[in-house]
Amino acid sequence: MLAAVPHRRHIAVGVVAALSLSGCAATGGRENAAAAAALRLLDAVAAGDGAAACATLAPDTLREVAEDEPCEQAILDADLPEPGPVEKSAVYGQWAQVRLAADTEFLAVFPGGWRVVAAGCTPRGDRPYDCSVQGG
Amino acid sequence: MRRFLRENALGLTFGGLFLIVLVGQAFAGQADFNQQQVAEGLPGVSLGRYVTSASFGVDVAENWQSEYLQFFLFVLLTIWLLQKGSPESKPLDQAGLESDQDQKVGRFAQPDSPKWAKAGGWRQRVYSNSLGLVMGVIFLGSWLAQSIAGVAAFNEEQLSNRQDPVTWADYLREPEFWNRTLQNWQSELLAVASMAILAIFLRQRGSPESKPVGSPHSATGVEG
Repeated sequence: MLAAVPHRRHIAVGVVAALSLSGCAATGGRENAAAAAALRLLDAVAAGDGAAACATLAPDTLREVAEDEPCEQAILDADLPEPGPVEKSAVYGQWAQVRLAADTEFLAVFPGGWRVVAAGCTPRGDRPYDCSVQGG
Repeated sequence: MRRFLRENALGLTFGGLFLIVLVGQAFAGQADFNQQQVAEGLPGVSLGRYVTSASFGVDVAENWQSEYLQFFLFVLLTIWLLQKGSPESKPLDQAGLESDQDQKVGRFAQPDSPKWAKAGGWRQRVYSNSLGLVMGVIFLGSWLAQSIAGVAAFNEEQLSNRQDPVTWADYLREPEFWNRTLQNWQSELLAVASMAILAIFLRQRGSPESKPVGSPHSATGVEG
């Protein structure tokens, strides 16, 4: 179901081993986990399950979404696109960017796993993505 | 044991200080990283997670590469470039690779000379350039490590700002890579220039990095 596509080149340099970023050997697993979390949000919204969708959000994002109405309702009103195949999942340190057919999401690592920090994102050239769901 | 410590005190002291300060850098870096995490609404990371991160890696590598560049340039350029009055320079009449006799190679090697100094051929050539070669290789290796850890750390920040990550090739053209590189290079080159010039006029009694206290300012290539 997931088209997990590790996109980073792996350059085997002995001197880098001691200095390089963590989880180098497990980046496929992290990228898949981030992609799964991104899809969980869109699947829950598509199924009308606001509670499950809100459970995928980072705390600050949840607070922002629930500013004017309960999160479970607000997330369903947020005009998030339909779920689709994962085109690219990139993980760097504590952050991930997941590109799906109709959406781009930004996620971060929390104690329980990946949480969505921003979703419904559209690119704006050199400027940050404009996201319909994001933290303050 | 006491003799070993006495005869190796310089290397052991600086090696020990390096390790202590590296540990200090790890703690300070983790605190700085976590301050940024909290500002972004994220949880802090453990020390173990931080010291295996690209953020720590690039901060270490960018400093290592510039130190080894400094040594590489200093070792090589002092073969030919002179500084009148400086103990960091050779005497004014000795620019260049010098004679085999002065360098104690080949038939001029002594019984206790290193083996490859007597060997002749490629072994002697390699050994005659081994210091510069090793400094240069470590410089290039750590600069490469800086670029690889650097692109990962840069991309982590890109994503936190809701921007696209870049490739390693793109990162080599990013201002951030060159800002990190050049800010380190300028300080290393300044240090060598300062040392070469200040030591013309100033003294530190007992240090091999200084001329003898009573040496005239014009005395070149002598050490105290």
